[in-house]
Amino acid sequence: MTRILMLSTALTGLALPALAQTLTVYTSQPQEQMTEVIAAFNEDHPEIEVELFRSGTTEVMAKLQAEFAAGDTPADVLLIADAVAMTQLKQDDRLMAHPDAPVDGIDPALLDAEAMFFPTKLITTGIVYNSSMVEAPTSWADLAAPEAAAQTIMPSPLYSGAAAIHVGTMVQQPEFGWEYFETLAEGGAVAGQGNGTVLEAVARGEKAYGVLVEYMAMNAKAQGSPVDFVFPSEGVTAVTQPVAILAGTDVPDAAKAFVDWQLGRAAQEQSVAQGYFPLVAGMAAPEGYPEADSLSIIGADNAALLSDGEDVKMEFADLYGG
Amino acid sequence: MAADLHLLGDRRTGGGERMLALALCVYVGLITVWPLGQLLLTAFGPGDEGQLLGTMRDTLSARATGRAFWNTLTLSLVSVGVSVVLGAGLALAVGLMRMPFRAVLSFLILMPLIIPSQILALSWIELLGSQSPILSPLGLAPAPGQGNPLYSRMGIALVMGIEHMPLVFIAIRAALKSVPADLVEAARIASVPPARVLARVILPLVAPSALAGALLAFTAAVGNFGIPALLGIPGRVPMLTTLIYQRLNGFGPSVAGQVAVLALILTLIAVAALALRAVLMRQLRMRIEGGRAFAPTRRAPLWAQALIWAGVAVIAILPLAALVLTSLVPAIGVPFSREVASLDQYARVLANAAVTRAFGNSLMLSGAAAILCVAVTLPLAYLATRRPSPAVTALDLLAEAPWVVPGTVVALAMILAFLPPLPLLGVSLYGTAAILLIAYLARFLPLVLRPVMAAAQGADPGLDEAARIAGLGLADRMGRIFAPSVLAAALAGGMLVVMTAMNELTLSALLWSSGHETIGVMVFSLQYEGNSTAAAAVSVLSTLLLLALCALAQVSLRGAGARALPWHQG
Repeated sequence: MTRILMLSTALTGLALPALAQTLTVYTSQPQEQMTEVIAAFNEDHPEIEVELFRSGTTEVMAKLQAEFAAGDTPADVLLIADAVAMTQLKQDDRLMAHPDAPVDGIDPALLDAEAMFFPTKLITTGIVYNSSMVEAPTSWADLAAPEAAAQTIMPSPLYSGAAAIHVGTMVQQPEFGWEYFETLAEGGAVAGQGNGTVLEAVARGEKAYGVLVEYMAMNAKAQGSPVDFVFPSEGVTAVTQPVAILAGTDVPDAAKAFVDWQLGRAAQEQSVAQGYFPLVAGMAAPEGYPEADSLSIIGADNAALLSDGEDVKMEFADLYGG
Repeated sequence: MAADLHLLGDRRTGGGERMLALALCVYVGLITVWPLGQLLLTAFGPGDEGQLLGTMRDTLSARATGRAFWNTLTLSLVSVGVSVVLGAGLALAVGLMRMPFRAVLSFLILMPLIIPSQILALSWIELLGSQSPILSPLGLAPAPGQGNPLYSRMGIALVMGIEHMPLVFIAIRAALKSVPADLVEAARIASVPPARVLARVILPLVAPSALAGALLAFTAAVGNFGIPALLGIPGRVPMLTTLIYQRLNGFGPSVAGQVAVLALILTLIAVAALALRAVLMRQLRMRIEGGRAFAPTRRAPLWAQALIWAGVAVIAILPLAALVLTSLVPAIGVPFSREVASLDQYARVLANAAVTRAFGNSLMLSGAAAILCVAVTLPLAYLATRRPSPAVTALDLLAEAPWVVPGTVVALAMILAFLPPLPLLGVSLYGTAAILLIAYLARFLPLVLRPVMAAAQGADPGLDEAARIAGLGLADRMGRIFAPSVLAAALAGGMLVVMTAMNELTLSALLWSSGHETIGVMVFSLQYEGNSTAAAAVSVLSTLLLLALCALAQVSLRGAGARALPWHQG
């Protein structure tokens, strides 16, 4: 019996993480960027240790749902691509309100009325192309031309939150609709998994064009990859990478500190350095980007995005495979 | 009490030995029997509306199941074809002809088996992509816009075939060593031409071993996760192992019933192949007269040596070279050249806290697993060989189960058993490092148990008997007489556990959680994020670590211990 007791004691020791100030963040932001974010956060808050789970928004949501079903989630803070997924969590009473968050300088239209989640940056989806293979396209319509479609890859809404919003928004527009995606599919366009697979395929020259979030393309270009990014003439779709505190958190103060920090100047400046459009008024966009207020953003009906989310994924999976 | 007495030993078995046997039963019961039992229960559970075997019927009738089943079966078979052609060719060449640097050659041939499958897949992706740092300068890389030919059914079969080729190679090399020299010499004296000696004397003698090796390769292919994950997910070729992974990751444990059925199918295929192997081994075993073993006398002609080295270069060296070169370019898609090459990627991954944590976690977990496996194996092997009882014999068999069934199945079983909070303690192990450790302990125990059992069976049992008569207690007998006699084998087994567990992906892909990532998971998720240059750098670092461990094992183990190392079986 001693043996069993010793075994179980040893296991409990492993099972209980260091107590108190450990903050668990579930996010869809890339690993390397989050490492920088955490390092900068710890400069201001050395007492809070941040642990990370990173995956595509859709997988992060699936993991959360599974953990809710199992009873509880270790996650304290959620930092994912889109407000629609956040709205869904809010409706399920999974989020904690944080009315004291510093939201000065953020467009009130982007704020949640009950202060349950907060936008942290602007991420737009446009077109990436391999600059050593093809000339720059100018519009979404260019991609639908047969010779372009055959060389196009896009991220799947089954993995990426930005892609879910992109497809959902595009099909709401009368000039695009599902017809646009059908034309692309007939022309031979394919869907990868997340945005990462799109960048890989275009940078390696396996495909000439890709549908991609701007920062991944611009960062790869800055590092020397043979890619460039186009903000299409019809406009881009956009998500706001919201941050939220989960209702079941056991470290609410640390969680609030993280959210407040995300909305503060230091984090916003770091976002710009990492290649994101800033959200706070009065900050310049990263070098080589157009100014944020000069962008034409395709407006989305958010209520419809929320209610049609599953249908959009199914329809997309029918066209491009699961 | 009488039944109990009989189960744990006979009249000569002492009280301490009984307690030990009981403790081992509890241990194997907790980490192996309970999880795998949960899996069976879940798979055979009722459906949503409570129909008998409903979960199973629903899953079996789903289209995705059929597709993944056929892909697993057919691609594994094709891969075995590749393994047999390569493995038999190389084994016959190396075994029948004399040539310089044979030991180096044998080690290189075994490389695909030693390199973890996700890294092997990654290195082949780099080698055959349109940006290949090796093929592009030669003008042999696929044209831009063509896509990587490996993201396909044939790509999966080819790379799996190469990875498992050493299993066939090892089997045939061993068989060649037992071909009697007399037979070959008799044929030569009768002036039978060499080609006919090969066809009529040698091949029939090694055929059963080749078949046994092929079936092992098949089992390995069925359970492979790394290659289908890196080639099949982007190529949209679902296999059973990746379907389980994608379902669990996409939908969470709510689909546990469905995936348990998939796991059961996977297990049945693997176990059927192993059972067939056991039957064949018994049926086809030939009585060969003892005596001097055949040793090659003919020197390999230069063209044959060149051909072998070229083949080995393609299999073992070029892919890894492509991986290293990729890790030196500054960003994806930048063609490799001397001017752009830099170590920036390494600086970047080493500055990434998640990567260094992954290295720490993997080293800790694999080290702990090795120590605990050795600690459990010593009493288990002692009892099994010196005080056999029905319970201990059963434990010896049961302990093999998590190694025989595919790793994905073990991981799923662990989730099912340890997701609900533990009784009494009220904590769930899911989401902690403990669940990874338990999975490693269950899966890798046979790596220590097998060599130690073999050594224990070879050691003299009379010593233990004499010590008992002289009145030495159980602890003394185990610690001072038994343990030293199997120490070399136990060390070798422990090293094998460290090497295998350190780069493990199959279990950790399903069981990792924030803060508890492993090296395998890191490589996989960096590649997935679109950061393949970083994935290449991490792969190169972990491969270097692995080779260092191989060297350490080679230097520190001699004699009986060294024989348990995979490259000594070639």
